Amino acid sequence: MAVLIFPGTNSEAETVRICRDVGLDAESVHWSQGASLPRYDAYVLPGGFAYEDRIRAGAISAHDPMMDYVIEAAEKNKLVLGICNGAQILLEAGLVPGTGAVRRPTAAFTRNAPSGKFICKHVHIKLCADPARCAITAALPDAAVIPAWAAHGEGRLAATPEHLDEITSGGYLAFVYAHSDGTVDDAAVPNGSALRCAGLTNKKGNVLAIMPHPERDAWNFNHPDIADRKAILAPSGGATLFRAFAKALA
Amino acid sequence: MALRPEELRRIAHGLGREPTTVELYAFDAQWSEHCSYKSSRQLLKQLPTTGPNVVLGPGEDAGILHLGEHNGERYGVVIAHESHNHPSQVVPFEGAATGVGGIVRDVLCMGAEVIALADCLRFGNVDDPQSHQRYVARQVVDGIAAYGNAIGVPNIAGDVYFDEGFNDNCLVNVIALGLVKESEIIHSRAPERSAGWDIVLVGKATDASGFGGASFSSLTLEEDNQEANKSAVQVPDPFLKNVIMRASYRVFEYLRKKKITAGFKDLGAGGIMGCTAELCAAGSYGAIIDLDEVNVSVENLPAEVLAVGETQERLCWVLPGHATADVLRIYNEEFSLPEIARGARATVIGAVQEEKRYVMRRGGEIVMDVPIDFLTGAISNEPTHREPSRATPSSSRNAHEPGGLAQVLGARNGCSREPLYKEYDAVVRGTTVIPRGHADAGVIAPVAGAAFGVALSVGGSVAEAARKVVAVGGRPAGLTDCLNFGNPNNEVHFAQLAGAVATLSEDASTLELPFVSGNVSLYNESSSGTAIPSSPIIGCIGVLDNVSKVVSPALKHPNSPLYFIGTRGAGPALKTENQRIAALLDAIDGGLILSARAIGSDGILAAAAEMAFAARNDFGVEFNDEVMPETRYHGWLIEAAEAATFEDFASRRLSREDWRRTGVTTVADIGGEVDIVSAGRSWDLDELHGAWSTRLAELYA
Repeated sequence: MAVLIFPGTNSEAETVRICRDVGLDAESVHWSQGASLPRYDAYVLPGGFAYEDRIRAGAISAHDPMMDYVIEAAEKNKLVLGICNGAQILLEAGLVPGTGAVRRPTAAFTRNAPSGKFICKHVHIKLCADPARCAITAALPDAAVIPAWAAHGEGRLAATPEHLDEITSGGYLAFVYAHSDGTVDDAAVPNGSALRCAGLTNKKGNVLAIMPHPERDAWNFNHPDIADRKAILAPSGGATLFRAFAKALA
Repeated sequence: MALRPEELRRIAHGLGREPTTVELYAFDAQWSEHCSYKSSRQLLKQLPTTGPNVVLGPGEDAGILHLGEHNGERYGVVIAHESHNHPSQVVPFEGAATGVGGIVRDVLCMGAEVIALADCLRFGNVDDPQSHQRYVARQVVDGIAAYGNAIGVPNIAGDVYFDEGFNDNCLVNVIALGLVKESEIIHSRAPERSAGWDIVLVGKATDASGFGGASFSSLTLEEDNQEANKSAVQVPDPFLKNVIMRASYRVFEYLRKKKITAGFKDLGAGGIMGCTAELCAAGSYGAIIDLDEVNVSVENLPAEVLAVGETQERLCWVLPGHATADVLRIYNEEFSLPEIARGARATVIGAVQEEKRYVMRRGGEIVMDVPIDFLTGAISNEPTHREPSRATPSSSRNAHEPGGLAQVLGARNGCSREPLYKEYDAVVRGTTVIPRGHADAGVIAPVAGAAFGVALSVGGSVAEAARKVVAVGGRPAGLTDCLNFGNPNNEVHFAQLAGAVATLSEDASTLELPFVSGNVSLYNESSSGTAIPSSPIIGCIGVLDNVSKVVSPALKHPNSPLYFIGTRGAGPALKTENQRIAALLDAIDGGLILSARAIGSDGILAAAAEMAFAARNDFGVEFNDEVMPETRYHGWLIEAAEAATFEDFASRRLSREDWRRTGVTTVADIGGEVDIVSAGRSWDLDELHGAWSTRLAELYA
């Protein structure tokens, strides 16, 4: 598996760490090494501020030559996961929801509302599609609730009403924001995201884009409330998504 | 320029001739307070700087404390502390952002990965929506967020206070931590036998920004000079810095593999001249710099701007010739710096020389040629010119406000800082154990798989900062300080500075804590002669041997006994503080403590309320008659797991005067409210929380 590093990526360390921890053979692939990308089975696009979030987060990165390989890999049914900035890039590249042409996005993660500012907040995301709808989530239980950290300035899903309808009716909505007990309401949404969306998949279910960072709540010590101090170094809820990813590749 | 007539005469005398223009600007920067600490050097010598866990004391760009061992490797935590007060007052977004950028380079150039940030802010009265101070208070926070978030370093600690005394002069102090294997530290000096080695400049193309910054920070802010002062502020580029950091990590890896010892230093005040002169002087060498080799974004820059301008995002290596090509390739090709920002690159600009002279060439001519030790040597300046003070010394920064608990918690200086720090990424890198604002200190577990952790707190005194680290279960290991004061040529302000240093020195010696890094920011006053309130800002680094022992302030159980550990009354009795610290840490280690909080100047009731807020108001607190809400408490409020065990422990380890039972945690009856109860009064927690949590939201919405 390749963890892609664009100029401005900043979450490669925790992403590589959790992938390896769940048994995935993850390697960092740097923008000057893009030609090596075809030999990997799966791809993770981590968080950061690639290309300085110019124009809109992910907009420039979607045109980085590395994305040619990722687009090609997605067409070949390889698995692709984008987290935070990685998710923004996947939307801008038109891979999710993938209802338009390549690099012609039909939806975007845009400036948070109402504050318009970066927000760092512990959240939960809930699987709202059938787990089998997306290969990466197939091993998760139905309606799985996963802890994560939201840490973004542009995480609000925005699209035309027609495209939002398409996302809903086509089953592209993979995760919504929720409370820790799984209840879903607007108070759980940190950024004004349309459809309370925290994650989207594509038609074939081999690409997943999620805004919050489960890899930053991957060990018990990453929880804001330290409940079980004995197991503080053990993997936590955020790791379950990566375990499911590993099962999909096994 | 900040040079004084007597200093100009000294320069001419030392050189045996009048200085050239470039030399004049070079001495102006190098002999500024910012670079030379000329007013404060003698005072700072009082501070304790040694101890068994000091790996590197003050003197280089950052200090290093021993952290722990993992897989046979000894790890150190790198600590640097800077102020960026004047730039932030003039151009707040850029000033604060470049403050973060500068401190990150100080840590990076020790060969370390940058692992955490903290910031301490002081703003003026922000009531008036049109005021400049309100603009400053908002823009500074946005600038810190924009820079720190983009480079991917978690912000884990800090504070903010508001006082009219900062109307003309805000404070922006930043602390950065790094992680380094103790065997792999890189020093900010030309290594032994490095004569003839390459001097390699890395980073952004030099432009005209940040010209005169060192002397700017060593002058008071004049109203009518606002426009000229703006050009002294640098332009931040966190995107480029992100890439330079990662490229530098790759260079560290390369040098280790090849077993090459190199010198590395960041460009701060004094630009290329200040950095290369200090690098080479520290190795007892001289240097020859060819300014024509410097990568620039603007042609025909004057030589003095090239020499001392403070263009951001630049660092400098001293490398043996055989390694230079590889290092240039890493920066310029593998990490493609020229494609990341126009004109950015790594490039050879000169060489180390045996002769201890500092020489700069431009267009084939020598524009500077001075004895290097004369340029970089300390100039001491016991202030002689003292004016009477026009400023009145301020009272404590967070005075107990009248009107009781609700007013204290709802005051701008007592309320939740969440509306501010939620803009900062506290969890990037995935190592955060306690994010900013969730406890008295932030905690990270920086080494994957290792159980040890680092705690970082800030405070206005050594005792306060140390107590906050202990409250999360950290063993205080060392200190860093930034001394923010007025014009040292003013008798009263100099006396304030001297008094503060004496207190820090005494307190740190009593607690057996070394200062390993620090910074002095003087001249914090406006042209009207108004100086800021004296503001020593202290950071304390704590070590947790096992982060599973970490303690949060959130109350854990109903009907838990609560205790106060510490002393009461006017001043803290620090003589016995180490005994209390040791006892509390042992109690934490033994699992006797469920939650803890250091009691601040807002008092014991406010501390209890914040412990309840952290538990989402699930539990209240009922204090007993022992507690006198108006008394000053110096110590901790703790929730014990069990009364008998804790009291048995406390009676063996602590003087009877040093601990007392203060009450019990409570729960609401079904459907009822949870309260803080003391001395016949009670406050509804939800109401308190409402005032506490929303006060700053109007400023940072």
